[in-house]
Amino acid sequence: MTEAIETKGLTKDYGNGRGIFDLDLGIAEGEVFGFLGPNGAGKTTTIRLLMGLIHATRGSARIFGLDCDHDAVAVKRKVGYCPGELPQFGGWRGSEVVAYVAGLRGDVKDATITALAERLDLDLGRKYREYSHGNKQKLALILAFMHQPALVILDEPTTGLDPLVQQEFYGIVRDARTRGATMFISSHVLSEVEHVCDRVGIVREGHLATVSPLEDLVGMRAFRVEIDFADDVPVDRLKRVEELDQLVVTDHRATGLLRGTFEPLMAAVAGTRVIGFTSREPSLEEIFLTYYR
Amino acid sequence: MLIRIALKQQTVGVIALALVVAIGGVLNTLAFVQIAGTTPAERAAFAQQMTLLGAQLSYMLPVPVRIDTLAGYLEWRWFGTLVVVFGIWAAISASGSGRGDEERGLVEQWLAAGVGRARYLITRVAVFAAIATVVIGAMQLSILLSADGEPLARGDLFAMGVNLLATTLCCYGIALVIAQLVTTRRAAGGIAAGLFIALFLINGAGRTANIGAARWLSPFYLFERSRPLTEGGALDPVGIGALLGAGAVLLAIGVVTFARRDLGGTALPGTRRESRGTRSPSRDPLLRLPVLGPLRQQRIWVAAWLVGFVALSASLISITRTIVDSLTSSEVPFMRAYFERAGLSVYDSFVGVIWLSTATLLLSVYAIIQVASWSADDGEGRLATILSAPVSHTRVILERLATLLVAVGLIAAASSVAVYMVAAGQGITLDGGRVALAATLLLTIPFAFGSIGQFVSASRPRIAVVALSTVAVFSYFVQQFVPLFGWPDWVANLSLYTLYGTPMSGDVKWAGVAGLVGIGIVATAASLVALRRRDVGA
Repeated sequence: MTEAIETKGLTKDYGNGRGIFDLDLGIAEGEVFGFLGPNGAGKTTTIRLLMGLIHATRGSARIFGLDCDHDAVAVKRKVGYCPGELPQFGGWRGSEVVAYVAGLRGDVKDATITALAERLDLDLGRKYREYSHGNKQKLALILAFMHQPALVILDEPTTGLDPLVQQEFYGIVRDARTRGATMFISSHVLSEVEHVCDRVGIVREGHLATVSPLEDLVGMRAFRVEIDFADDVPVDRLKRVEELDQLVVTDHRATGLLRGTFEPLMAAVAGTRVIGFTSREPSLEEIFLTYYR
Repeated sequence: MLIRIALKQQTVGVIALALVVAIGGVLNTLAFVQIAGTTPAERAAFAQQMTLLGAQLSYMLPVPVRIDTLAGYLEWRWFGTLVVVFGIWAAISASGSGRGDEERGLVEQWLAAGVGRARYLITRVAVFAAIATVVIGAMQLSILLSADGEPLARGDLFAMGVNLLATTLCCYGIALVIAQLVTTRRAAGGIAAGLFIALFLINGAGRTANIGAARWLSPFYLFERSRPLTEGGALDPVGIGALLGAGAVLLAIGVVTFARRDLGGTALPGTRRESRGTRSPSRDPLLRLPVLGPLRQQRIWVAAWLVGFVALSASLISITRTIVDSLTSSEVPFMRAYFERAGLSVYDSFVGVIWLSTATLLLSVYAIIQVASWSADDGEGRLATILSAPVSHTRVILERLATLLVAVGLIAAASSVAVYMVAAGQGITLDGGRVALAATLLLTIPFAFGSIGQFVSASRPRIAVVALSTVAVFSYFVQQFVPLFGWPDWVANLSLYTLYGTPMSGDVKWAGVAGLVGIGIVATAASLVALRRRDVGA
């Protein structure tokens, strides 16, 4: 069976270690693949190589068996693309932008555009320059999905979207998957790909660190916790919490990286006077420092 | 920091402009020595001829004074037109400061970094004034160095520089205020440039007819009131005072308006954002068609060019009979013979020269503006969006050219109809077939310019406008100075304008036309290779 995306030794070398290097990747048809990495890791470069917008230094990239560079036009008949950096259409109305790009594609149903605009709650009557960042992102998503492509490549697609619209976006992704579309979604937020992806590739400093099924991500799931105590910090009890790494105690505050569930930690602090407790998702860089040192 | 950023943004353009005006100054200085002769008798004859010619061209240039001297010649021939160039430069620069940086989100960044609005704009004005001073200074220096013993007082030249700087700053102030009233750089620059051309024409009309106080509205009239090169460095106090005063007031209005209005909005009251409130794509079928889609989105711009160019063509042709009658009845036999030899003693030939020389210049400017937007397509992500659809690089290149040629074709066709009808109204019978042929051949100019521009834009988009403008200025200077210096034909043929020729005043120069088409084809092929090889957005 032909893979939706296949790269072999794909390299784009911008010098000084920037770019993407020796990327070997295979993504099956119908799969939703998350491409994770911190800013500057090479995600956008990979996507632009797949779209034939830039040329590889060496190696190859194929989409549905077609060479991304030499068969660029044929490739794009099958692909929808949402760029990470949004284009500028100045005084064009949203309705004009989608009509123009639909004209370029030639295989777009107006009803699909309208349905997407409804779901994302986007007024296409406004001028592009009047759109907020989030609305521009919605328009980019419409352009990516409006022709119901067999492969959708999305570069950080939820940037600027509010939580409600993000949920609608995940719904659109699931619907596309239901009709058999393959998805390639880049992100620098772990929780984002958890919603929709089957498999995740993690890239760092231009190199693919790992490709894992979503289940393996659970092991990576971690929270940066910060606890403020009214009295002294129960250091010994905290040290006994196996899931808590990188424990640092200063005055009445303890911070650390918690992997897995919260229950052992909560048990450890039971009976103490906790006056503040915050937890947040660690950055990918923090995860890398933990798992891929 | 702000000053450094402002300087960095304009480096390439400023260097190019400084070079162009410096070279222009040198060539005009050398041209005077070449054509005016060296003996008092030759100079007197030259002055007599040029004074007569200048009187006929007073709708465009100031009335010449002391034309037997280099100072008088430069004041008339060089500074009389240079002031418009500086006005247009001011329009472009002010629209960039007043709108362009805002469109790109830079102003928001600077304001967020704690820079005050007034400080931001005052810094930009100050940097522009400093740059203008340097550019004018470079030009004056080049003139002094090339004067070759001709009497030209430094103080007089300095006073002319002050006059030019004051006019430029006044134009900058006007354009800055306009930029506060619209929401895009393109609109601000276009309106300001159009207004300056209108004010230039008002001043020209004021030289030959009584238009009352309306002339005072034109900064070019105020500029012209001072004749420092021929009046011993004296500046007209009313003229220079009005320029500096108006400039200061306009700049202050621009700064205050900018400080008070919303970012991204206009200072005009009552304007609000409109939405048609729809979830559907546009139903306009033109948008989905090749060539017509991009053309539809440029419709207002193209229409403005069409109307403006038709009006300009009609006004030029309306004075043809008067000019030709004056020239052919010249009391100076040399002048009469010169125009008869040049084929300009016949009305239709003169129509051809005056119309087509203007048309080739303006249509190349149109092509340069289009190239600027193609380069912006790359930098602003639109090209990536287009290439994300199943669209080949070949189609992108060809569609751009076709869009340019269709727009220019419409403008040229409307202009040719206007020329034909206005000429007929003057009792001048033009050969309709020749007019149509000349108008059709006009397409070769934007084709050549557009293709060269497309090649540079596909290779190095950031320098495309400067490179193409250099080609245009070079072509213009070569065309102007080849006859004066007696340079060989091969030099003349380096000018794209020379290759077009004068198809209404003599035989069509088919070799030149073929040259233009050949340049276009080769440059288009090179564009294809360059666009395919280059990384989009790099």
